[in-house]
Amino acid sequence: MIALCCTDIVAGYEPGLPIVRGASISVRQAEIFAILGPNGSGKSTLVKAVAGLVPILSGKVMLGDEDITAVPAHRMIGRGLAFVPQTENIFANLTVADNIDLAASIMKVDKRRRLPEIYDLFPDLARQKSLVAGRLSGGQRQMLACARALVTSPRVLMLDEPSAGLSPRLVGVVFDNLRQVRATGVTIVLVEQNVKAALALADRATVLVEGKDRITGPSGELASDAEIAALYFGHGGAGKAA
Amino acid sequence: MLQLIADGLIVGSVISLGAIGVTMTYSILRFANFAHGELLTWGAYLALTFLGFFVALGGAGPMQPIGPFSFGWPLLAALAAAALMTALLALLVDWLLFERLRAHGTAIVLVIASFGAALAMRNLLQFIYGTLPDYYSREIQIAIRLVPRDVMGGMRITPDQLFVLALTAVTVVLLHLFLTYTTLGKAMRATAHNPALARLTGIDVRAVIRAAWIIGAVLAAIAGVFSGLTVQIRPGLGFDLLLPLFAAAILGGIGSVYGAVAGGLIVGLAESLSVPLFGAEYRAATAFLVLIAILLVRPTGLFGERS
Amino acid sequence: MADLIPILSYVTFFLCFAVIFAVMALGLNLQWGFTGLFNVGVAGFVAVGAYTSAILTAPPYPDSLGGFGLPVAAGWVGAMIMSGLVALVVGVAALRLRHDYLAITTFGVAVTLQLVALNARWLTGGPFGLQFIPKPFQDLLGTGLAWNMAYLAMSLAVLGLVYVALERLVKSPFGRVLRAIREDETAAEALGKRAFSFRLQSFVIGCMVMGLGGALYAHFVGYIAPEDFLPILTFQIWTMLIVGGSGNNRGAIAGALAVWLLWSLSGTVLRQIIPQSEQARGAALQIVLIGVILAAMLIWRPRGLVGEVIGTPAGKDEKGNTGKKA
Ligand SMILES: Nc1ncnc2c1ncn2[C@@H]1O[C@H](COP(=O)(O)OP(=O)(O)OP(=O)(O)O)[C@@H](O)[C@H]1O
Ligand SMILES: [Mg+2]
Repeated sequence: MIALCCTDIVAGYEPGLPIVRGASISVRQAEIFAILGPNGSGKSTLVKAVAGLVPILSGKVMLGDEDITAVPAHRMIGRGLAFVPQTENIFANLTVADNIDLAASIMKVDKRRRLPEIYDLFPDLARQKSLVAGRLSGGQRQMLACARALVTSPRVLMLDEPSAGLSPRLVGVVFDNLRQVRATGVTIVLVEQNVKAALALADRATVLVEGKDRITGPSGELASDAEIAALYFGHGGAGKAA
Repeated sequence: MLQLIADGLIVGSVISLGAIGVTMTYSILRFANFAHGELLTWGAYLALTFLGFFVALGGAGPMQPIGPFSFGWPLLAALAAAALMTALLALLVDWLLFERLRAHGTAIVLVIASFGAALAMRNLLQFIYGTLPDYYSREIQIAIRLVPRDVMGGMRITPDQLFVLALTAVTVVLLHLFLTYTTLGKAMRATAHNPALARLTGIDVRAVIRAAWIIGAVLAAIAGVFSGLTVQIRPGLGFDLLLPLFAAAILGGIGSVYGAVAGGLIVGLAESLSVPLFGAEYRAATAFLVLIAILLVRPTGLFGERS
Repeated sequence: MADLIPILSYVTFFLCFAVIFAVMALGLNLQWGFTGLFNVGVAGFVAVGAYTSAILTAPPYPDSLGGFGLPVAAGWVGAMIMSGLVALVVGVAALRLRHDYLAITTFGVAVTLQLVALNARWLTGGPFGLQFIPKPFQDLLGTGLAWNMAYLAMSLAVLGLVYVALERLVKSPFGRVLRAIREDETAAEALGKRAFSFRLQSFVIGCMVMGLGGALYAHFVGYIAPEDFLPILTFQIWTMLIVGGSGNNRGAIAGALAVWLLWSLSGTVLRQIIPQSEQARGAALQIVLIGVILAAMLIWRPRGLVGEVIGTPAGKDEKGNTGKKA
């Protein structure tokens, strides 16, 4: 079954200047799907557009069998799509508990049932509930951002470079968390610079070049694909890909 | 000396209430609203109109004062009604003007627009009410001597002034509880910190903006009435307070409610204490000196989080 | 033929004000239109220019500083220098910070200068202001139409000079840097300290031009008082710039003419239809009207009547010339 299907998305920040130029992806239920590509190829813009933060100029986004192309960002979470941006993805001025509670209160989640589940998934956070979130370490911030997004039990979780700025050990922890999340039936879409780690985590992936999906396939196939290497080396992304 | 401090605190509480609104609209709508002072003026005048209405409703004759105060229930009812109407006025201006400009996404244009809105609002008010000063009550109040004359010059304070201080304190505490414990309050703080993330969290930013206008306008109306009660009601009431409001909001740190309160009290005290130094005629420039000092020394303000 | 004289007088008088406002609007245009600096203290800088020129050129005042009886031209130069100095102080304090702080600070400057004008009798003559400000060539031309026309010609010459100077400035590499700073926050950050210095230069030059406008005003009217420099003046100049089209010097001039025409006409009409006793209210309504026009322009025609001619990259047309991003 297809959980998220984007068809010919054109999106950009200013009229007449599309950044994403006709990208299509289709993500299956409960899989981990990676979006790769050189710097500036429009990966972040694509996921932001799907989340409703960047205007979609044309194309169509289907979440399951619902058309969510024109749904405003603040309604996405109600439809079952959660998004964790790359930076500034927590409310640094609220406590850890308030960060998680807020989404739950707004979406009228049964907190007594759901909060323990979330804190089980992220035991580090359970120990620091009353800390102001701005004081958390990088890895814990990333966990809090995921926890905030997951508390409303979304069907699809999108993350923009969850590994950025983390040490290799922490990347391992965050990715393990994502595997656990997927095990609960959540579909995961993630943008990654860290090609190796991303292909090891994801079931399938796509490579976005200049706003269009160039190649899509199972991670294993892409990992050995010469064209990917060429794309990355060709665009100077090799440093980060290594 | 003590008397100056007492006077400063009373002016300071009016500034505090106004500055909370400034800091709130600044942090959530992300622009310096030059029209905020006019909300104070409109609040004061609307209360005057409602007061006349309620007094007439309650039968002929002037209003019956409560206890030692110069005013009675009609003024409190008028205050409530004026606060409501001021909130509607703020929402109306937002809908007519600011919302349309927000769509284009340039914050500084909103500042120009607010500057225009300020003059238009003030002159509309002058057109309706005229330019003569007015009072809520002509009752003469006897000041209570709290500190005898031989202790640092002594201190006298009127019951109305005490009422203003007490109600300001209550308002600030209520606002604190609202922002700390309610979902809407947390949503407002979240939106101030990061509007895009707030939307991703399911917060309807438009609702938060409306809440910010309503709270800001209600506090502005209260501040306007307090100013009218302790000084007088004039068309320039709010405009003359605008610089102190901005100074207080920046001094406290944009976005910080407690900062705005502290900033308001500090600016009020500075104004009052400057009188023996520079003379009463330059009192209004004190806020400017405070502003320049804070911009040079610590532009994020005393309690500011962001630059 | 005799009927023509009053009309001609009125037209000259009207145009003189329009030209003086145009000079002020050009100063603001350099700051806002070309650099994206938000100055809410226009009236204050104009006042500094007007008072400086008056003090320098008037015959000795009995109870206040000056006048020093210098030539009018010296007054104009002095006006520019003083306004520039005040701008320098303000700019150093506020230009490093986010741009609405500049707005608030300049607003504070205007409020403070207004207080000084009202209260520092030894300097400004207090609420009654300064009188006997010399009108150049008055001994030759008298006080009538001839003098008005001569002053109009002089003001036009000043306007022309300012226009040419500013046009050259904004088309020079300096002007291109200013626009880059305005358009692109990251470019500005890349320039770092230099960006601050460019902003400061633009701000100071703009304020000097406003000060010159103030001096032109003082010598045209012959006496000045604090109430000539209320926030409403700032508001009028802003409206002129926005209506004409910021980022375009010809727009600023056209806007000055258009808004001053509208202002004068609406004043005349309101005076006709509103009874004598209610004149104050009529004046208030006039300001509301201008406020509504400003708001309407911002919403529906943010590029103004003329709009920006140079430096608008294709594809950014929709955003117009409204300055920096939020
Ligand atoms: N807020 C914005 N406004 C205008 N243009 C933007 C904005 N954000 C990004 N862009 C432009 O969009 C293009 C694509 O950016 P995007 O962030 O989508 O790329 P990316 O693939 O995520 O790159 P990276 O690997 O560096 O994260 C870039 O050229 C960038 O300059
Ligand atoms: Mg990116």
